[in-house]
Amino acid sequence: MAVTHDLGIWVAGILTLAIFSFLYKDNPFYRFAEHLLVGVSAGYYLVQYFFSAAYKKLWVPVFQEGHHVLLVGGILGLLMFTRLFRRTEWISRYPVAFYIAAWAGYVIPSYIQVRILQQAQDTMFNPRGMPLGEALSALILLIGVSTTLIYFYFSAEHRGPLKTLSKVGITFLMIGFGATFGYNVMGRVSLLIGRFQFLFTDWLGIVH
Amino acid sequence: MAFYDRMMSIDRRIIFLSVGLAVAIPIIVPLGFPVQISEETMNFYREMAALKPGDIILLSFDYEGDVMAELNPMAVAVLKHAFSRGIKVIAITTYAGGTGIAERLLTEAANRYGKTYGVDYVFLGYNPDWSGTMLRLGESFKATYPTDQYGKSVYEIPIMKNVETYRDIALVVSISGSALSEYWAIWAGGRYGARVISGNTAIQAILIYPYYKAGQIPGFLGGLKGAAEYEKLINAPGMGIRGMDAQSVAHALMLAFILVGNVGYFLFRRAKRREQK
Repeated sequence: MAVTHDLGIWVAGILTLAIFSFLYKDNPFYRFAEHLLVGVSAGYYLVQYFFSAAYKKLWVPVFQEGHHVLLVGGILGLLMFTRLFRRTEWISRYPVAFYIAAWAGYVIPSYIQVRILQQAQDTMFNPRGMPLGEALSALILLIGVSTTLIYFYFSAEHRGPLKTLSKVGITFLMIGFGATFGYNVMGRVSLLIGRFQFLFTDWLGIVH
Repeated sequence: MAFYDRMMSIDRRIIFLSVGLAVAIPIIVPLGFPVQISEETMNFYREMAALKPGDIILLSFDYEGDVMAELNPMAVAVLKHAFSRGIKVIAITTYAGGTGIAERLLTEAANRYGKTYGVDYVFLGYNPDWSGTMLRLGESFKATYPTDQYGKSVYEIPIMKNVETYRDIALVVSISGSALSEYWAIWAGGRYGARVISGNTAIQAILIYPYYKAGQIPGFLGGLKGAAEYEKLINAPGMGIRGMDAQSVAHALMLAFILVGNVGYFLFRRAKRREQK
């Protein structure tokens, strides 16, 4: 066992325990660690955003390199601050409208191509010459996509065959939710593993 | 209190303590459970293994400290695999908080393999607006990142000399704790034809399957398990493999708790029905 002499790791280790103490019940150590995290994060991000956006992407190109056209974006950005006052709040709608329009222009064609057309294409298959396992997998995918879409079809009452198909659809949805939950558990446990590895390896030196 | 009531109302602190012990003990005393390789990980490995020495990959650190337990092992393994085979790395981060993580992992891996900054790898740093970054890289790397993280002009960095757009990048590797891998597939892949593979947190992994199935992301690593599998494939055991024993024991415990809760619920329902009769 070789406990570290690194002050930073000691601080991180003690703060980790302070956060874990909430699992027993709320207490001042937990609240201290929580507030410290919020404060440090706010400071860190403010500095990062200021230097990487306002300074590097606006101040330097405009005032040191002469790309004055960027001032248009800078002014639109500044107009967002008009939201802070009730009387000038309406002005902020212009940069928001500009942003939404640009974003929609970026996103809509790519989304249709990648998320709808290519995905829909993947559900189509020709079983002729396909290995049996692959054909079966493709068939299940086709049934899953079709019946799930039927479940979300609300323009007709779910009766008769439509009801049966939508029930099949909800079964696929449940399987999907189950898989998501399983992955969720794995993700949360991984975070705990990461913290314990830090405590036992970097801090206490129990594990090498 | 009836037995089923006790089964359904276990003190949450007992559950927390049990999970804590289930994770802590296997870390201290490894059990050596085998790691099976999944098809997604194998395909991720194949994409990396198909690169030739001198090829350049774009490694995007799309995460911050909150998920580094899951994603650091993947990023470390990718860097080890790349550097050990002479593949060059252009690293960026799409999160302000990812800067420190990326810097540390790159430096550690480069020191281990004796790689030179600017020649074998470069860190271009954080750029605000990830969507604009992904799109603009398709037009010009140098316009998107005029300088590296340390303020040096990219025109003076040897690795950047022949890199103009995604066409000059052999592979885009997104290590992501959010939906950004999907956006790499949509924009870098869908719009500019870049080949994109990803490493994702377990929570995100489920959303990657449709892209994987459609071939838009030809390989990916899902959670800590994916990292462990990849470490095994490149023969570089690290934090991923070390964490898998704890993962397995914790999952078994969770299953036991779910079973106990459900059995308790069914016994409770049966008792209620009997009462009504």
